[in-house]
Amino acid sequence: MLLYIFRRILIMIPTLLLTSALVFTIMELPPGDYFESYMAELQAQGEGVDKARIEFLKKEYGFDKSPVERYFIWLGGLLQGDLGYSFEYQMPVSELVGSRIFLTVLVSFATILLTWLIAFPIGIYSATHQYSWGDYGLTFLGLMGIAVPNFLLALILMYFANVWFGTSIGHLMAPEYLGQPMSWAKFKSILEHMWIPVIVIGLAGTASMIRKIRANLLDELQKQYTITAKAKGLHPFKALVKYPLRSSLNFFVGGIGGILPEIVSGAEIVAIVLSLETTGPLLIKALQSQDMYLAGSFLMFLALLTVIGVLISDIALAFLDPRIRLQGRSTR
Amino acid sequence: MTNAIDRRRFNCILLSAPALGVAGYLPASARDFIEPPYLKDQIEAKRLPPLQERIPVKPRVIDLERMERKPGRYGGQIRMLMGDPKDVRMVVVYGYARLVGYDENLNLVPDILENFEVEDGRIFTLRIRPGHRWSDGHPFTAEDFRYFWEDIANNEKLSLTGPPAEMLVDGKPPVFEVLDECTVRYTWPAPNPAFIPALAGALPLYIYAPSHYLKQFHVKYAHPAELELKVTSARVRDWTSLHERMGRMYRPQNPDLPCLDAWCLSTAPPSTRFVFKRNPYFHRIDTEGRQLPYADEIILNIGSSALVAAQTATGEADLQARYIRFDDYTFLKSAEKRGGFNVELWGRGEGSRMALLPNLNAEDPVWRKLWRDVRVRRALSLAIDRREINQAIFYGLGRESANTMLPQSPLHRLEYQTAWTRFDLDQANKLLDEAGLAKRDWDGIRYLPDGRRAELVVETAGESTEQADVLALIRDNWLKIGIKIYTRPTQRDLFRKRVYAGSVVMSVWSGLDNALATPDMSPHELAPTGQAQLQWPKWGQHYEEKGAVGEPPDLPEARRLLELYLAWRQSRSTAERAVIWHEMLKIHADQVFTIGTVNGTRQPVVVSKRLVNVPEEGIWAFDPGGYFGRYLPDTFWFRDTAE
Repeated sequence: MLLYIFRRILIMIPTLLLTSALVFTIMELPPGDYFESYMAELQAQGEGVDKARIEFLKKEYGFDKSPVERYFIWLGGLLQGDLGYSFEYQMPVSELVGSRIFLTVLVSFATILLTWLIAFPIGIYSATHQYSWGDYGLTFLGLMGIAVPNFLLALILMYFANVWFGTSIGHLMAPEYLGQPMSWAKFKSILEHMWIPVIVIGLAGTASMIRKIRANLLDELQKQYTITAKAKGLHPFKALVKYPLRSSLNFFVGGIGGILPEIVSGAEIVAIVLSLETTGPLLIKALQSQDMYLAGSFLMFLALLTVIGVLISDIALAFLDPRIRLQGRSTR
Repeated sequence: MTNAIDRRRFNCILLSAPALGVAGYLPASARDFIEPPYLKDQIEAKRLPPLQERIPVKPRVIDLERMERKPGRYGGQIRMLMGDPKDVRMVVVYGYARLVGYDENLNLVPDILENFEVEDGRIFTLRIRPGHRWSDGHPFTAEDFRYFWEDIANNEKLSLTGPPAEMLVDGKPPVFEVLDECTVRYTWPAPNPAFIPALAGALPLYIYAPSHYLKQFHVKYAHPAELELKVTSARVRDWTSLHERMGRMYRPQNPDLPCLDAWCLSTAPPSTRFVFKRNPYFHRIDTEGRQLPYADEIILNIGSSALVAAQTATGEADLQARYIRFDDYTFLKSAEKRGGFNVELWGRGEGSRMALLPNLNAEDPVWRKLWRDVRVRRALSLAIDRREINQAIFYGLGRESANTMLPQSPLHRLEYQTAWTRFDLDQANKLLDEAGLAKRDWDGIRYLPDGRRAELVVETAGESTEQADVLALIRDNWLKIGIKIYTRPTQRDLFRKRVYAGSVVMSVWSGLDNALATPDMSPHELAPTGQAQLQWPKWGQHYEEKGAVGEPPDLPEARRLLELYLAWRQSRSTAERAVIWHEMLKIHADQVFTIGTVNGTRQPVVVSKRLVNVPEEGIWAFDPGGYFGRYLPDTFWFRDTAE
């Protein structure tokens, strides 16, 4: 087992190197660079551009060097834990991301918890009562949840929250608490605002989770061991939860790896629509404006979390499900 | 050293002391000045001197009654919504504290400066207000100008390309002299008419810097070990980056940087809420003895630009026009009561809300040749029904016009506005027939000289549906003159690249950025002087890069425009400049290099019902005057403040 983990960690190194090269190449592909799109943006608004300053910044950020050189400078920085500088914000990427990570984790965590709390009971109910009215009804709701675009729902909820409860539009807290140190009043304001993003982001995830639980559980419920267990008179609860449900959860444990980067990145589009102070809008904005180091370092961070998450999933699966073998040994 | 400066400074104030009596409009004694309650604690704790000592000996007195506005009271926060952390610069733009600035009637008036003199168009003597101080209380003197000129503009590490372009005449820098602590002089060998307008720009030419503060980051003045420490702790590459970062005035990010603006930044980024606090040493006062600005703070809430209109409707902004579009007007109007604001409609300052730009440097040789034929350009302009566009898209609130000056500009003439803008399909058809496009296909589409059908793709930067709507109207009318257009929205960066390379035959962009020009403002937009001029990107690039890349203009009229622009750069008097401007505008009207549609369209401005003195009508333009800047937002006040 230890050897397996060690090997997996070694494989992570070339994987991440390859990812970094890919990330950098893709970011270099669009025409122009940050400074050109910055100038274009100013001109689009009919504003002036200080060319001398742009020249200065270009030199400072090494844009007089070739892309390959810049790649290695960036990579070298990453290895030493230096995520580089954001052009857009003119500050170190780590500070920028750091300032937003707390709220991001809070929102994501609440969302994931909500997803599970709703999805599990409903999924199990749907599977055990297949083709009943309850199943159809909940399936319909679930499909609606998948079909309604998140951002639209966000806008609608935001509007009604404002009209009915007077909650200020956008942001994760009332404007007066922005940039203030954490306090009880601020925390309450955050809770007051957080339910909209949590519901909106959680909705699609909940719906698809319900479908997955239902499908996987149905597979198991039709297997012979379940029928045997029931025939033998095992307690219905045990005949459902202890065996079929457990076996149907492989997809879920396998998915835990994906949760790790998700917690950190948040739901990007919804966060933009709602003007949340999370990392999602930061990333999208950086990609749009070709703020290379911010986008690149953040993507690398996500890549690292993904690789670690997958490793955790694999290990957890191996522990939970004795049918899974670590090495490709032939079965006797 | 310090002593010497102090003594000279003393002299400078002493010399100007007699002027105080002459000025006469100042309150007679300290008793008549009214202190802002916001600063009361600091004044009582003796951390701030009284108002009389904080303002210059001769402050800029704003006579509100003469401007038909009401003198106000202190207090309150003006809240604004922004869509981007870079928008912190808007406070510097709106605040519009400049060495010299444009007033409501586009006159150039000294603002931070007490006065300035121009001799022979080439010798500029600037006089600082004696006793003027930075926001930290340190005197603002000639030393701050010297520091900029010698230690920033002429430091090859800080200014890679040398002094700013507006300070070079034929590549030659001025002779800089400090005449006394409050007077500086710049002397060029030849006239430099671009200098003063550059100081008044919404994005100003900064020729001063808070030297007392910035010296700690400058290798010439700072202690090497301390500087090294600062560079490491700020995690920047070297002292130049540190100096640049700490000293940036236009888009401030350093709350410690002393400023001369009405409100100074007090929030360190990153943040989604920026607070700008009143500058206790600001140099403007009203006639009743109150120091401006009236409002204590400006608050910028940074969110998503797409949400600004919705947030404004709930009353989350006190003064908002940025990120609000004309199509939001009805929505905002319906929310007026609930949100407690009024929606005013200002005019927009572009020469044309949307202009069609035939690319004179297009790669396609056939179209390029056609575009260079003035008959074709005129025909296309004649075949646009501007009235229909104005009525259908802008509710008739715009002005049907070529891409030229607005009536508010002293350079406006009706013949420029109406040149080739009447809707006349017959004449358009005749002109195209004459231009060698007489042969038509079965469906009425003309044949190009090389046998292709006259079909072209009009590219847009894909930023607004408004452009697509206008193009749909134009398309129908152009079909009647046998030209078929297809609209293709792309992405902004890609769009510009393609225009620069000549791959785009015709593009769409807004018209002249500054359509409120006076003869003293630079006419560079009218001549091929920049690559960003999408009707002749290669000619513009040729000038911009001093002939290294691009192509020299080969149309006589375009060459003439460039000559005229260069003549303006050499001009000595306003009269001379007006003659040059008119010739350039005339060429544009006659040659139709850009095809204008409608200008003077409306910009909704949301003003809280509590906010007094915001004009009901104005022009929304970056240049001249920095959007609200020309209307002096420091004189806006809240009617319900506690004072």
